[in-house]
Amino acid sequence: MKTARALWLGLLLVIPAGFAHADWRLEGETGGEYESNLSNSDRANEEKEDWAWLTHALVANGWQLSRDLRLTLAADLRSRVWARFDDLNMIGGGALATLRYRFGLGNEAPWILLEEKFGYDRYRDTSWSNWNESAALRGGIAVSSRVALEAAYEFENRAAPDDFYDLQGHTLDARVIAHLTPSWQIALGYSYRQGDVISFAVPPRPDIFSIARVRPGVAIFGTNPRYNAYRLRGHTHTVSANVGYLLGRSVSLLFGYEYAVTLHDPLVYDNHRVQAQIAFAY
Amino acid sequence: MRAFTLLLFLLSAVLSEGLFAGSLQVTVKDRKGEPVANAVVSAEGAGGGTTHARGEVIIDQRNKQFIPYVTAVQAGTSILFPNSDKIRHHVYSLSPVKTFELPLYSGIPAAPVLFDQPGFVTLGCNIHDWMIAHVAVLETPYFQVTGPDGQVTLKGLPPGKYRVQIWQPLLKAKPEQLAQSVELTAGSTRALTFTLDLKPDFRVSRAPGLSTGGYP
Repeated sequence: MKTARALWLGLLLVIPAGFAHADWRLEGETGGEYESNLSNSDRANEEKEDWAWLTHALVANGWQLSRDLRLTLAADLRSRVWARFDDLNMIGGGALATLRYRFGLGNEAPWILLEEKFGYDRYRDTSWSNWNESAALRGGIAVSSRVALEAAYEFENRAAPDDFYDLQGHTLDARVIAHLTPSWQIALGYSYRQGDVISFAVPPRPDIFSIARVRPGVAIFGTNPRYNAYRLRGHTHTVSANVGYLLGRSVSLLFGYEYAVTLHDPLVYDNHRVQAQIAFAY
Repeated sequence: MRAFTLLLFLLSAVLSEGLFAGSLQVTVKDRKGEPVANAVVSAEGAGGGTTHARGEVIIDQRNKQFIPYVTAVQAGTSILFPNSDKIRHHVYSLSPVKTFELPLYSGIPAAPVLFDQPGFVTLGCNIHDWMIAHVAVLETPYFQVTGPDGQVTLKGLPPGKYRVQIWQPLLKAKPEQLAQSVELTAGSTRALTFTLDLKPDFRVSRAPGLSTGGYP
């Protein structure tokens, strides 16, 4: 992890010096999020719902290396502040690099994109704080000027001081994006993730105990009763619908809904997530 | 004496142009009655046979936009694409009428691009997908592009019959389907109105959307 970080940091410093006419871009998003089952609990009466305020800012610099190849380096800052469960309040930052190859000219040409991200997220409950990185291969093709298909594979790795909170996962993702009108866009997606998950439940739960590592008596979701945290490998199926509305040349409203079901026999839990954000790009 | 005759000839030519030329006042609106900007209005004489232009026109790139959005030229005109931004642009056209690329450059490109075939050309920037512009390449020298008021006046048309056509990047119909015929007599002015059905404008936005893989 340290070597990877050093490599990316080196790239960030060296590459800008080698190319003139770099192309800066600033992006920001802020808005609210609701999760119906923040605790990833499988029993309805143990599910903890909450609202959060999200903020994300990114500064990116792009270099067109050849007609079809584009390198982008970016740094970002992000935060999530929960209304009730403030141990999960987070502030983080990181860097990302993408290398995009487009098979032809124009925005309708098919493209593939390699993406590498790393960062650090600090939580109020520092046992959740973690270094994280992800590598992704994405691709897209325009079916018409109004409809595009995208697919992605992503590997994510999260390393916390307490390895109980380490997470790794592989995700496959596909979605279709359509322009309904010049201002309205819609995206429908499905993703499948296989990897580590952390589920919270009120003990005793011998059924989960036998298939998971356990961290007893965590207080993130209160002390009456205290939950146990269970770490196990699960399969998550997610369907999503996102809507974007262009407010002007540089500003959009983004709305999203996601329904996710995570399975590891006999454990099954689901979560509804709703987001509404305002996004800016310059 | 020879100089005087030449002067007289030139003077009469200029005066006859001014006195005997006709003009066309054209209003372009959409189905809701709103004025339509960026519509190319052109008048082609019944006789045709106009010689090709030799001029040079500029389409600038400023603040990651093409300026102007719509340009009309006579076939045979060269267009220069200076880049006034501090970043590089990559101008291209995939239109059959004129396919070309000006790969990644800043400043003023070495040579202008010759538009010698009539038709309609869409320009893009391979870096900034929202950068789009259109060029209407016309046979006739009589044309103008409407501004926000949706109006143009074509002046200096010799008397005769004309076929007046209109084109706009979002036009649903073909220009020839909307063509109107008009006859101009010496010094006359005729007014025409075009009502257009326009398609929705699905241009790529600079604002963040739902797609990935675009810009940056």
